[in-house]
Amino acid sequence: MDDFEDAPWESAVRTRPQRRGPTSQTYARRGEDDTRAGKVILVFVGVLSSVLVIAGLIYATGASARSKAAALAAGCELSLFKSGIPCITHQMVMSQYQAIVTPASNQLNADTAAYRANEGHNLVAAEAALTAEVTAEQALDNSLAAAAFTPQNRARAITLITNAMSFGNPVPLAAITFTPQMTVIADALVRDIQALAKLTAEQARSSSLRQLRSFNPSVDVATAAAQSELNLLRTAVAVPPTASQ
Amino acid sequence: MATTRDYGPDVYPGDAVGTWNEQEQSAYDSKSQRRAGRSRVDEWMEKDFKFGGSRIKRRAVALILLGAPAIAPLFFMLPATLTLNENTFSVSVDDTLGTGAELCLFLCLLVTPLVTLTGQRWFVPLRRWYGIMMACCAIGDAIAAGLTDTFAGGFFGVVAGHVFELMGFTMVLLVIPLLITGNPWAQRKLGRYWKKLHYLTYVIWGLLFFHLSLLEGFGFQRGSNGSGFPGDGEPIFHQRLYQYSAASLFLLTLRLPPVKRWIAARQSEGRNWVVYATIAPVFLLFVFAMTFIINEEIFKGINSFRETPSAE
Repeated sequence: MDDFEDAPWESAVRTRPQRRGPTSQTYARRGEDDTRAGKVILVFVGVLSSVLVIAGLIYATGASARSKAAALAAGCELSLFKSGIPCITHQMVMSQYQAIVTPASNQLNADTAAYRANEGHNLVAAEAALTAEVTAEQALDNSLAAAAFTPQNRARAITLITNAMSFGNPVPLAAITFTPQMTVIADALVRDIQALAKLTAEQARSSSLRQLRSFNPSVDVATAAAQSELNLLRTAVAVPPTASQ
Repeated sequence: MATTRDYGPDVYPGDAVGTWNEQEQSAYDSKSQRRAGRSRVDEWMEKDFKFGGSRIKRRAVALILLGAPAIAPLFFMLPATLTLNENTFSVSVDDTLGTGAELCLFLCLLVTPLVTLTGQRWFVPLRRWYGIMMACCAIGDAIAAGLTDTFAGGFFGVVAGHVFELMGFTMVLLVIPLLITGNPWAQRKLGRYWKKLHYLTYVIWGLLFFHLSLLEGFGFQRGSNGSGFPGDGEPIFHQRLYQYSAASLFLLTLRLPPVKRWIAARQSEGRNWVVYATIAPVFLLFVFAMTFIINEEIFKGINSFRETPSAE
């Protein structure tokens, strides 16, 4: 395998002069003809190649725009788009949001209702409701942080998607992150929920019903702030992507 | 790995460079001038330089650097081989090793045109090395495909059950004698038949066209219709038959006798720049095609190495 030499061609080149006298006119004419044929071939191949290369380069310059248009037409979140793996659609991000927020909201509503029912007469039950509320708030925080658009979460998501793809499975919910825009709001929400959880935990350590109720105004303010951020996040999730994103 | 031994024309039976008479050379051939031109680079490559406590030839370093990337396809599959990861093999071995074999074939075929263009011969040993790596990749691809592909039938049913696979399997069968005889001992034993046997490389090159045309078709993917799944939405650039054709145009053109004669005539006139200017477009097309083949090899290869194979 050392010499994948072009022997058929080589021999054609090298044996021809041996058959004809190198000084003969026939040979000279043939030589000119031979080089002319080579020139014609090279010009033809050169023009063809030039056209193909220029066409390829022009086509390649539009690759990014075509890729975005195709991703957008498929309902993909462009900020989550990565070449070579199935795209994350806006619908999938909405599903992820609902999967995180809906059960947490239901749990928090139930805990708040339990607290309201007991705050006037049953300290132990009210504190138990508050403790459950803190647990739900921390779980919501963790879920929101796991869905944030961070380098670590993106790497994990891409691995999960690639694994799912190689087994022919759909994209798992755990692989769906928020968009960068949603993540900004989600980060603010996480901070608000952490503040609320801290306050609620402090409230749950009250030694009397009076002390317990004294936290209500500040807890209501913190809850309103978190609710406001949650509404913003809901609005951001509900807005489908645009080409400018 | 390629050795630094000079596999010059003198060791090849039938390589007639040394038999040409002076008149022929002066009338038509530019070998002596090209040889003079190349000798400067070749001589520079022959010189030693001091590295640590020993002296190393420049050519040895250059050959190692140019030859090392040919190991990449097999290296990419190493983790899956060590862990016997059947999933990685079934999903991406054909892309990683198959594309690797194609790349090595093109690099192997590139050596002769570069000798024609530059007159240099210091890189000729790479031809054997790329050929060996092409054979290893192709054989590895066939074995892995036969063991892990999901087509019906046993090993031979899988590797020869479809026409495109039969083409690939034929290429692998043809590459085996080339691999076995790709050494100086076999070259000496086979004498003048050695070169004829190694014309099989061109048969493999031709069969690859049919293999890819049966695999990919002549068109490209539109929507969900067509082979392959280009994740970047650019099916034209990822159509393997187009890549093959664009890369082969340069390799084939530089082997045509009239083209070689024209190049020799221009070189004998001392107008190398005309040759380079004329060849530039087709060489650019070759580079353009090779860029996408190498890109695919790296993309698929890294995914295989991480054992998260891409089914793209």
